[in-house]
Amino acid sequence: MGILLLVPILAPLAAAALAAVLGWRRLSAWVTILAALSVLITAAVLGFGIESGVRFGVGDLLRVDSLGVTMLLVIGTVGTLATWASIGYIDAELAHRHTDQRGAHLYGVLLPVFLAAMALAVLANNIGVMWAAIEATTVATAFLVGHRRTRGALEASWKYVVICSVGIALAFLGTVLLYFASLHAGASSGQALDLDVLLSRAARLDPDVTRLAAGLLLLGYGAKVGLVPFHTWVADAQSQAPAPVSALMSGVLEAVAFCTLLRVKSVVDLSLGTGFLRTGLLTVGLLTLLVAASMLVVQKDFKRMLAYSSMENMGLIAIAASAGTRLAIAAILLHVLAHGIGKSLVFLAAGQLQAAHDSTAIRDVTGVLTRSRLIGASFAVGLAVLVGLPPFAMFASELSISRALAGAHLAWALGAALPLMVIAFAALVRHGTRMLLGPPDASSPAIAVPRSIAAALLTAVILSVALGMTAGPLTDLFHTAATQLGASH
Amino acid sequence: MTTALHNSPTVPALGEGARAAPPAGALAWLSGGLTAALGAVGVALGLSVIFGEPRQLRIGWLLPLVGVRLDLDPLGGLFLVATGAVSIAVGIYAVGYAQRERWARFPLAILPLFVAGMLLVPAAGSITTFLVSWELMAAVSLFLVLSEHRREAVRSAGVFYAIMTQLGFASILLALVVLSAAAGGDAFSTISAHVHDLSSGTKTTVFLLTLMGFGSKAGLLPLHAWLPRAHTEAPSPVSALMSAAMVNMGIYGIIRIDLQLLGPGPNWWGLTLMIIGALSAVFGVLQASVATDLKRLLAYSTTENMGLITLSLGAAILLRSSGAPTVAAIALTAALLHLLSHAAFKTLAFLAAGSVLAATGLRDLDKLGGLARRMPVTTVMFGIAALGASGLPLGAGFVSEWLMLQSLIHSPADGNTTLALAMPLSVGAVALTTGLGIAAMVKAFGVGFLARPRSAAAEAAQEAPASMLTGMTLAAAACAVFAVAPALLGPTLRQVLAVLPTVGGHAAGPQLGTFLRLPGVGGSLSPGLLAAALIIAVLLTLGLSRWGARHRPAAAMAPLWASGADTLSSRMQYTATSFAEPLQRVFDNVLRPDIDVEVTHFAESQYLVEKVTFRSRLADPVEQRLYTPVIRAVNAVAEWVRGAHTGSVHLYLAYGATGLLIVLLVTR
Amino acid sequence: MTEATYTGALDLAAGAFLLTAVLIVWRRELSAIVRLLAWQGAALAVLPIIEGIYQREPAPIVVGVVVLLLRAVVLPILLARAVGTEDQERRESTPLVNTTASLLITAGLTVLAYAVTQPIIALDRSPTTRALPAVFAVILIAVFVMVSRRRALSQAVGFLMLDNSITATAFLITAGVPLIVELGASLDVLFAVFVLGLLTSHMRVAFGGTDLDQLRELRD
Repeated sequence: MGILLLVPILAPLAAAALAAVLGWRRLSAWVTILAALSVLITAAVLGFGIESGVRFGVGDLLRVDSLGVTMLLVIGTVGTLATWASIGYIDAELAHRHTDQRGAHLYGVLLPVFLAAMALAVLANNIGVMWAAIEATTVATAFLVGHRRTRGALEASWKYVVICSVGIALAFLGTVLLYFASLHAGASSGQALDLDVLLSRAARLDPDVTRLAAGLLLLGYGAKVGLVPFHTWVADAQSQAPAPVSALMSGVLEAVAFCTLLRVKSVVDLSLGTGFLRTGLLTVGLLTLLVAASMLVVQKDFKRMLAYSSMENMGLIAIAASAGTRLAIAAILLHVLAHGIGKSLVFLAAGQLQAAHDSTAIRDVTGVLTRSRLIGASFAVGLAVLVGLPPFAMFASELSISRALAGAHLAWALGAALPLMVIAFAALVRHGTRMLLGPPDASSPAIAVPRSIAAALLTAVILSVALGMTAGPLTDLFHTAATQLGASH
Repeated sequence: MTTALHNSPTVPALGEGARAAPPAGALAWLSGGLTAALGAVGVALGLSVIFGEPRQLRIGWLLPLVGVRLDLDPLGGLFLVATGAVSIAVGIYAVGYAQRERWARFPLAILPLFVAGMLLVPAAGSITTFLVSWELMAAVSLFLVLSEHRREAVRSAGVFYAIMTQLGFASILLALVVLSAAAGGDAFSTISAHVHDLSSGTKTTVFLLTLMGFGSKAGLLPLHAWLPRAHTEAPSPVSALMSAAMVNMGIYGIIRIDLQLLGPGPNWWGLTLMIIGALSAVFGVLQASVATDLKRLLAYSTTENMGLITLSLGAAILLRSSGAPTVAAIALTAALLHLLSHAAFKTLAFLAAGSVLAATGLRDLDKLGGLARRMPVTTVMFGIAALGASGLPLGAGFVSEWLMLQSLIHSPADGNTTLALAMPLSVGAVALTTGLGIAAMVKAFGVGFLARPRSAAAEAAQEAPASMLTGMTLAAAACAVFAVAPALLGPTLRQVLAVLPTVGGHAAGPQLGTFLRLPGVGGSLSPGLLAAALIIAVLLTLGLSRWGARHRPAAAMAPLWASGADTLSSRMQYTATSFAEPLQRVFDNVLRPDIDVEVTHFAESQYLVEKVTFRSRLADPVEQRLYTPVIRAVNAVAEWVRGAHTGSVHLYLAYGATGLLIVLLVTR
Repeated sequence: MTEATYTGALDLAAGAFLLTAVLIVWRRELSAIVRLLAWQGAALAVLPIIEGIYQREPAPIVVGVVVLLLRAVVLPILLARAVGTEDQERRESTPLVNTTASLLITAGLTVLAYAVTQPIIALDRSPTTRALPAVFAVILIAVFVMVSRRRALSQAVGFLMLDNSITATAFLITAGVPLIVELGASLDVLFAVFVLGLLTSHMRVAFGGTDLDQLRELRD
């Protein structure tokens, strides 16, 4: 079993090595898809074998529990969809001369490295290694964001690297302080940052130092999640990046960073009580919702619109995490999975619209449903998933989050969050109908859909519908993960 | 390596301007048939629950994290019957309508889904199932409203509807999760068991939020503005379903949560319902009486009727808590009966309007007319519906409005100031509503269907196909039942009242037989005998005049006197605008019309008028006074936030630095 | 090494660390601040080396030497090469905050650092932690430098300063983090600087300069 834990990290790295040697070829692209699929399969195998236990691998270096399995599922699913779509995407980019062979080569190498870094962040046992992996994702995605080498892409990469790195540096400071507190609670220096050790010594951690550390960690990892105040990179980076990368960043990376926050939260809650991080998460979450909803209202660019929609969902997840009950955590995990799939759907469709119009302005795009049934339907389904309409899973997760908040005496926070979500809904519906419905402009270009992207879109639609009907065995997984995180009932 | 771009052979892109090929009649038959079948299932299920045992169903694995729980009792059963009956008529009608209007595949496919959603809402047995089915119903109705999305008016109506429906849903969601958390359970049965644990603050919050949310769905003020837009722009069968069945769900929510679950409420709950109901009724009928768009008129009429129903519900609560359970039972019966009869005549009205729209392509009353000769069956159908809507004897709404007035008039005379003030005012409101309603319906029927056609399209109108006529006939039959023999519904209503002990007390409701008797109050009415008497009187008069005609000379043909002009033209008739003009003038302060009169003179002489243009726009004043400032405020905040994101990386880092400082200071 | 020497050397190194930071705030030429960054890296490396000498353990000394190589030699050379290719003025253009105000803010941040680090010092009263406030102040000063400098390379210097100061904090209070974490952190910093350098050169090509005020096209 221990070796199995290495697969999600080593398989993508192997694919990256192959891509580094071969350049952008069909073979290397397919090996990357297989690597992402292997992450998914590992998650499934681990999920069935794990029940409510925790498995270790490579000595004590790697650790997987139900939360880890869930996150691997998300990485695997969205990763497979994104790498699959990348084939058609990069081929189209090369054909239209938006990039050259060097750019495609770099893309082919960096994408699996990105996946490997995320897998490591989710599987690491040591909080410091988790931190290093998350910083590695910033470095790996820097040139993915700047893939097109346009002025906008460069600007976005700079802002992304600088703002995220400052945030992550603060998270490192927080990690150092936590290490300090752990050493003084009696842990040995080699293991003081191990999750289990921290959990067992949490009651003995010095409260003042832990409070400072928790604040810094919330701020720092919140930067990667896209929470205020380090949220300003989200729209720029996710709108300039290629569509499959945007899907991964907004659907998976933010969730992986939040997973790290959840792990830290379980330690901090044992040490300080739930009050501190509850206030912190509520403040940050509500502010993020406010910013996201406002920016959605005034939006003129559809990829930025999707990025702000991710920010909205992350704000909601932060608010849900502040409730901390078992239902809340289970709902967060369902939300993350459904959001990842929905976001890939909508970003991949948006990528095709961008390719057709060579612009991401909302007013340039009209009548998509009439012009292309596939792209129109995918975009519509994706938007329906994102705004939380039934029968898709995000409705069930938002419903459960609401119940969890009311049950945790946080109904006032729900009352503050709901109008903001209605505003965001209104903005998304307005922009969506402007793009999808009505007669198309006479000069609208044809929308081509490469085969691999069409396949990825259809798969994502089927997955969204299926997840909306029932979560099946995933329900137990989510509940176990919630219990393992120490959630109260 | 080839970098070929594949236009995937399995995904053809549609050319611009090409609509989907008209679906085979088969799809329309399938869709309409399925809708009608679902309706029949609903009616059967509803009746079986009302007269039999309550039913339950639980599916744990469906819907992640939430599960589905269905729980049918007579109250839910009544709404199932109402929805089901409407769906049967609409389903049969939709077969012909969809073929006439060349509906695309997607709306046809989701029409049965809409009915399914509406049938699930009264059947829901837990908060989560209720919310899921509610939102499902709303989502599918939104897609149906957007069927003809090529028109700008439809798109903007759809967006407006989506936003307001989501707002309503948000307030219902908040109310129900608060209720569920405070009562410690998700199922309705658990909540009703623990209702005494709730603090009065919780109950008040839940009441106000549900009133806002359910009231919006029912089309009550002030969150009603989506109704005239959405019901007007939706295809007519969908409008019928929405106006006659979906708005009932708002009332269902109010009855289920505020009347049944939350127990007997304090006085002010009843008073609030009465005020909102009265305002909605008067406002709705006022807007209807000055509306010139046929479907907009009918939509505002829905607001009016829902207002009346809410007024009755409020009166029931008030009367119960003032110690007059018998009269409260009458008020409750009136509300439920009016709900059912409204479903019948509104369905008929919208189906007839749809028939007119399909035949002429027009909704504007100012351009219709003369349809009586060209579309006789439709005219008769609309006549029956208009009679029902106006609340006159022989109309479907007569008995329920009579019951309403009886309950308001016969409130206990002693003591209570609130009652003494509220009841007469309500009677006044109901009377005003009825009067204005008659004016609105006379306008709609007279201007729209009688006299001469005012446009070429109206002249070329042809009668609707058989399936549409069948659907309308079914609805008309239902109207006739309500008009003449409401006794048939007596046992049903009695069963439903029994499940609402908190409102009706255990007092016996009114007895609906050939004679309606109101126990303890001393009023009675016999609609059947009244109908019979009227018909006999009419037949007698007709017979007498025919017999008298035998002694008169033969008729001579002569040209009509037209004040010196050559012939009568259709421009010399009343239009809907001119018919309503006196009312508009009287209620000018409320309606605030936007009137523009432009006089163009000849170039040669200022004394000679070449052209006069009159433009009158009646926007919804609630929308202007209430929604616009809110929208403006939201936009202002959004602009402020946008201004804070200038694109400067230094500013962005400064935000982060500020956050860092705050964290450092706070964690000391 | 006696304890007095040890404490003195630590304080001296921490003081030098802070001094280089203040000088970076004061100076505007890119080449000057890169040189100051190298000195700062040296001051940073001194901390674990002194610790190793005092405790007579080889591990911190090795770590110190690696840090010296990385942060005092390799990274400044990378940055200097990037500075060398700047064909615009080597000077910083008018900064967003003038020098006087910057120095005043720096002083304020140092005071704040003293206040904030009290609970940490309270937990572990040893000579190493007493030197903490000076180093912690550099964290805040580094963030300030990143906020107030117009040129891309200045921001990169600020980022390195931030990382230096956090590493210094780690050395002072916990004698460094576990080796694997230090390895990961160093690799990340290396790659980050690499990325920033590459981005700067791309920026020079695309924007014709590295003034960050030009990066305002992406906004709503």
